[in-house]
Amino acid sequence: MKNLRLKFLILLAAVGLSAGARAAETVKVGVLHSLSGTMAISETSLKDVLLFTFDEVNKAGGIQVGGSKYMIEPVVVDPASNWPLFAEKARQLLEKDKVSVVFGCWTSVSRKSVLPVFEQLNGLLFYPVQYEGEELSKNIFYTAEAVNQQAVPAVDYMLAEGKKKFYLLGSDYVYPRTTNKILKQYLRSKGIPESDLVEIYTPFGHTDYQTIVAAIKQFSAGGKACVISTLNGDTNVPFFKEFANAGLTSENCPVVSFSISEDEFRGLPAKDLVGHLGCWTYFMSIKTPENAKFVGDFMGWLKDPKVTGVDYKVSGVDPKGRVTCSPMNLSRMGVYLWKQAVEKAGSFEVDKVRTALIGQKFKGPAGEVTMQENHHLVNNVFIGETLASGQFKIIKSFTGVAGEPFSSKFLK
Amino acid sequence: MLFSRRQRYSRPWTWHWLIAAACCLGAPLCRGADAVPAAAPDTATVDARARARLAEAIVADELDLQLQVLRELGGSGADPLIGQTLTAWRGGAVYLFETNGTRTPVLLDTQTDSEGRARAIRVADGALLAGGDGQGLLFTANDLTSADASSKLRRAIKTALDLFGVANPNPKMRRDAVVKLGQEQNADYLPHLEARLKIETEAEVHRALQEAIAVTRLLSDDAATREAAIVELGALRSITSLVFLKQLLTQAEGDAAKYGPATIKALRRSVWEIENYLWWGNLFGTAFRGLSLSAVLLVAAIGLAITFGLMGVINMAHGEIIMVGAYTAYVTQNLFASWFGKGGLGIELYFLAALAVSFVVAGAVGLVLERGVIRFLYRRPLESLLATWGVSLVLQQLFRHIFGAANVQVTSPSWLSGSLVIHDVLLAYNRIFVIAFAFAIVAGTYLLLTRTSLGLQIRAVMQNRAMASALGVRTDRVNMLTFALGSGLAGMAGACLSQIGNVGPSLGQNYIVDCFMVVVLGGVGNLVGTVSAALGVGVTDQILQPWLGAVLGKIVVLGAIILFLQWRPAGLFATRSRNLEG
Repeated sequence: MKNLRLKFLILLAAVGLSAGARAAETVKVGVLHSLSGTMAISETSLKDVLLFTFDEVNKAGGIQVGGSKYMIEPVVVDPASNWPLFAEKARQLLEKDKVSVVFGCWTSVSRKSVLPVFEQLNGLLFYPVQYEGEELSKNIFYTAEAVNQQAVPAVDYMLAEGKKKFYLLGSDYVYPRTTNKILKQYLRSKGIPESDLVEIYTPFGHTDYQTIVAAIKQFSAGGKACVISTLNGDTNVPFFKEFANAGLTSENCPVVSFSISEDEFRGLPAKDLVGHLGCWTYFMSIKTPENAKFVGDFMGWLKDPKVTGVDYKVSGVDPKGRVTCSPMNLSRMGVYLWKQAVEKAGSFEVDKVRTALIGQKFKGPAGEVTMQENHHLVNNVFIGETLASGQFKIIKSFTGVAGEPFSSKFLK
Repeated sequence: MLFSRRQRYSRPWTWHWLIAAACCLGAPLCRGADAVPAAAPDTATVDARARARLAEAIVADELDLQLQVLRELGGSGADPLIGQTLTAWRGGAVYLFETNGTRTPVLLDTQTDSEGRARAIRVADGALLAGGDGQGLLFTANDLTSADASSKLRRAIKTALDLFGVANPNPKMRRDAVVKLGQEQNADYLPHLEARLKIETEAEVHRALQEAIAVTRLLSDDAATREAAIVELGALRSITSLVFLKQLLTQAEGDAAKYGPATIKALRRSVWEIENYLWWGNLFGTAFRGLSLSAVLLVAAIGLAITFGLMGVINMAHGEIIMVGAYTAYVTQNLFASWFGKGGLGIELYFLAALAVSFVVAGAVGLVLERGVIRFLYRRPLESLLATWGVSLVLQQLFRHIFGAANVQVTSPSWLSGSLVIHDVLLAYNRIFVIAFAFAIVAGTYLLLTRTSLGLQIRAVMQNRAMASALGVRTDRVNMLTFALGSGLAGMAGACLSQIGNVGPSLGQNYIVDCFMVVVLGGVGNLVGTVSAALGVGVTDQILQPWLGAVLGKIVVLGAIILFLQWRPAGLFATRSRNLEG
């Protein structure tokens, strides 16, 4: 009896030791998000959710390749909202740290900046933020919403609601301009005359929306008007304040914003935004067991952030008032899709993983996603109405919308 | 009190019991005394019947029946439960409870228990759904199937709700509802609108009703009615109807035989009248907006006009001192909210306190900055540029550290929200406040500089430091106080700007360029120059914006300023400043 117990203990110790020995095997993964500068507001959350996901994967046994387990070891760099620095940091991740994959970038300009680096060094990048399309690199996988997964469904919804006049308002950079160009073409094809389409841009950090709001007020005086907003980040505050002060509401002229998710909402005047619309492939308010687990686990993790199984120090995580949002969900999806592809390919080699990624499916918080040959996802799209709590109430959903980066393919 | 509350809030849980209790108490009384008028039970039966019909329609899968019932409901609408049901139905929140093959439409109460379950309220009679044991049943939204509403049905529901809106006790909501109905140009609404017009007492709603009726009548087949409507809309200067008038005009011009020259003439005249009215409205609107932008620029720049203009310190941290003021307003707001509660007088008045507090706090920061950094650099303006820029980066990062990278929310008190509408020109209250504040701050600064001994000393030191010192002025102390004053003004500007823009660590950077632009353009060291420059830049920007757009407008203004400074490098009002000349 005693002997047996001893044997059992020895066995246990051996298993523990071998597990310990195995855990030493790690795979380096790059995180390329701005942690300082203007974009830090948005991108810090993505860094957090990526570290959380690495912890999740490691806790569940890591990545299984060729019979051995690999723990994800994050390499976090800070490109500081500086576009050329993005390219430099990307090069550093690929050449010096030799990471197997990079998760990162928020703005399109940062993605454009790192693209040549990834193509030259044959790296692998997962990009999680809604963007304007018209791009396809063999080294980038876009888990983000393409225009036909966000802007087009939103406009379709407004058309179905009987809206006939569209005021396209955006910040002055590549994403709004390209999106609006596509949208205008799309709306024209739906029979909206040129006179009922207005396209206006404001600079970054613009604070004076008086003239624009006065123009919207007149534009919407005859009814059936809506605003399609691609205003970025904090210019939304003066815009919505002015909008509400002018007596415009979601009832007489709804605003559909493509850049406001739950995370951005934290810095916006809640009462001025109630009833306006958002369109994403994920909302925190989605009621699925997967989402409940994701949100619950993430909130728990924020209180005690760590990455299991590797020697990595997590710092700078603020657990106060946190939410989840679409880019965060898509960042996490990216990690899982990559993990599955690596396990299927049985290798971390970029070329093999790339082939294995096509057709990968994953059941996420907002339903199942599938990676297509065009490096974009098939995903569910939701339209939500803003509540005073900063959450969205889903009022319409489209299932299985296939992402298509090139507008020429979905505009007829 | 209870009654008005019942109408305003949808709290089915409380008021239904109250009504039930009232009925129980009231019923025997009614029976006892026949003389009591039976008005109340009457509406109750009407409502009950309407509710029963509605419940029937929800369960039925026939679109025609559903639309029919909705049309019937259109006229009534005293019962809040019906309104609530319709809103819920449109949003997919009416649920079907199935027992023994019968389906009962229910609403879920807004109050949920810890597991997210809520009590179900029967649409037909407003009673709570109870199980076999008499206990209230609890559901989550996922337990029940929701009653579908196609987009056509949803639109019909919206129409019915809009008609309810015409009877809404809140005049603003009533007005919105009327405007929407007018835009539908649906002759079915006319009787409802006309009936309301007779009893409407609010001037604004009355006008909206007139407009809505006239707009609807534009489609009338009767030429005289149509023409009268056209003339009326012109006389009303109805901007809402401009689109419809123009539409009709294009039609009439295409089919002159049908409409006749008189109609076309009337149409042209009305369109002209409204467009003329709009032109004037836009003119005054632009003037107001220009003034308000000027006021914003002036408020932001006045502190710099002192620290840079008078003292000659190239103060790159000016923007961050504005930011300090804005964050002070945020902290004051939070303190007031925790002292006096989230609603009520505390939040209404915090802003006035915030202005004072931010003056003191930013002034103190300025004082420390002057004592710690700037006083060593008075003779080296370029180094003060670098040093203050460094300070600005430190302050930004410090605030990012304390308050987080995200913007913080500063709520406007209700007296600063909304706008005054005069002849369709919008004058937002917060903008009016900024204009008044700009006046006050300029007047205050002017009086301080010209009528107080501190002002005299400031001017003396700025004009000739050595001489002032020789005459016994403590120049060091005056420098310190002047810089603190300039910073304090910047702090107040921050509190003020928190009502208009956003409050975040990068707030200062958004304003710093504009501030320097205004001060340099006005002529360094001249308050009148700063005021004129702010006015010039603000008004020009607002005039250009509708034509060129915000981006190009800004570029043109900047280009114009550069050209102007080539022509007059010292700015609008050149003052000799010894500090800058060496």
